[in-house]
Amino acid sequence: MPLNYVTSCVIVEDGKVISSGNNRTTETQNASRHAELEVIDVLLQQWQSMGFSPLEVAEKFSKCDLYVTCEPCIRCASALSILGIRDVYYGCANDKFGGCGSILSLHVGISDRLPNSKGCGQKGFMCTGGIMVSKAVSLLRTFYDQGNPNAPKPHTPI
Amino acid sequence: MGKEAEPEKTRRKIFHIPEKLSTTNELSTVEVFATPVEPLHANALIRKLNQVAPLENLRHVKRIQKKIVEGKTLLSVILCLSNGDNTPHSMPAVLELIHEYKLHPFPTKVAKYAAVSKEEWEEQCKLWPTSYHPPTYNIDGIGGFSEVDSQMVFKFMKDTIDLAKSDGDQVVNAALIVDPSNRLVIASACDQTCLSPAASSKSMMESRSCTEEVGKSKVHFDVNEEENNEIVHLNGCNSKSLLLDSVACLHPWFWTQSQIENSTCNSGSIYPWHPLRHAAVVAIEKAAARDRDLFPLLEVSKGQSSLMDLLESPCLTSPSKKQKINDLKDKDEMLSETSVNCLPSDKLPSESSLNCLPSARPYLCTGFDIYLVWEPCTMCAMALVHQRIRRIFYAFPNPNTGALGSVYRLQGEKSLNHHYAVFRVMLPEEVLCSCCFD
Repeated sequence: MPLNYVTSCVIVEDGKVISSGNNRTTETQNASRHAELEVIDVLLQQWQSMGFSPLEVAEKFSKCDLYVTCEPCIRCASALSILGIRDVYYGCANDKFGGCGSILSLHVGISDRLPNSKGCGQKGFMCTGGIMVSKAVSLLRTFYDQGNPNAPKPHTPI
Repeated sequence: MGKEAEPEKTRRKIFHIPEKLSTTNELSTVEVFATPVEPLHANALIRKLNQVAPLENLRHVKRIQKKIVEGKTLLSVILCLSNGDNTPHSMPAVLELIHEYKLHPFPTKVAKYAAVSKEEWEEQCKLWPTSYHPPTYNIDGIGGFSEVDSQMVFKFMKDTIDLAKSDGDQVVNAALIVDPSNRLVIASACDQTCLSPAASSKSMMESRSCTEEVGKSKVHFDVNEEENNEIVHLNGCNSKSLLLDSVACLHPWFWTQSQIENSTCNSGSIYPWHPLRHAAVVAIEKAAARDRDLFPLLEVSKGQSSLMDLLESPCLTSPSKKQKINDLKDKDEMLSETSVNCLPSDKLPSESSLNCLPSARPYLCTGFDIYLVWEPCTMCAMALVHQRIRRIFYAFPNPNTGALGSVYRLQGEKSLNHHYAVFRVMLPEEVLCSCCFD
């Protein structure tokens, strides 16, 4: 069975894991369905069904930390910034797509990043990488070694 | 760079947004020694110079410059880099040629880097001629659009703006994913950050007609008919009350302030609202759903072998068609084939796929274009990289978070594994309206 899970992610609130997930890019045919978005969507759905307003949801996210095996990509880092997550901890850096310092630095507060942003008040999130790197890298390696069954030719054969 | 489709309509243009910021204003240069040369000797001299003093890191610079002064052709050639010297004394081989041809070296400057836009290239050539190769990758439109293609681009951009204004009385971004090979709309979506997408169509109609009543002073989009041509107008531009807060890519953090009224939270969706459901994100999601819908057999498959099984199944196509498919060695050829196959009814996944089935499953959004009213933010732009979109067209720049030229320039991030071409589509009334979008 192909291993579809290249990255895994959990969100922690008050020391407890409140959401966990893996990337679902292959099965959804949506290349943006990274693990971060999966765990975020679980919470958004849950909190909305509990009747939380957008402001309350924002307050919840501001007390949550996210742990992920690989540095969030530019898309996910943007998403985490939009949601206002508190801290992010990741395994290996993502030197191709990383949005938390490798390629872009979307974790930096917008007023520091974009001086012309007229102070929309968005804060950055703290980002700590390099945690259990070798284990994180071996996860990625396993994933890429098996090739992508959906990728067009020429590509890594299955 | 964009080619004007109709010269008489000067306000309708498509501009390529290059992968690198044009350095026109601060042209980097290198000092070289050049010399006038008799036309008779030019060829031989250049041949020799290319051997003894090749311009290794200046391949974009032409060795020879031709000027016509008072009807007389004056040729100059580059001898060598100056390396900070006053004369080319440090290169004996060049000195030999100077003596041989009785040359008169002079220092001059040439552009250090290859031009990334036509405008930059024109600036460079004022110093010394360079060559310009527009596409680092071969995507249609970078070198200009044909009349037919321009019309298609304008039409889809107008459709996208119509889509944005159809979303009620709030200004939102809209996205249209199109397969340009057959002009099929693959997916369309508006921002779904605040309102439920499934707000009942009835109440939507009511709110729209209401908007149109009040609209004369406030409404943002209008479509007029002029000279038998549909031209998109963005009216009400004098109105500073034009609220762009609800355009998700312009104000990604605005969602926390949005008021969710019960009436609009009626949801067919599992998310009555969602801070990350920007128009492009929703459109990608719909395109992915369509993909799964059209190719359900592949979802459980282990790979492309089953794609070939599907395409070669005897009930699928006529013998000639089947033969044609068998003959295709390369799947890319199949991807570019625009012909329509009809699957047998028992294999049809849904009504919606009856119209037009691609002959092969494209990888994600490979080959597709997306039209957006506003330049996407980093989240959307990166999602479009992931989804392998081929070209992005937008009407308005996004000075807050725009990722395709305004703030960032993802199309020029070499480390990414995919690069799309980006175009800005200028529509009539653009100049008039740009003030209220800043």
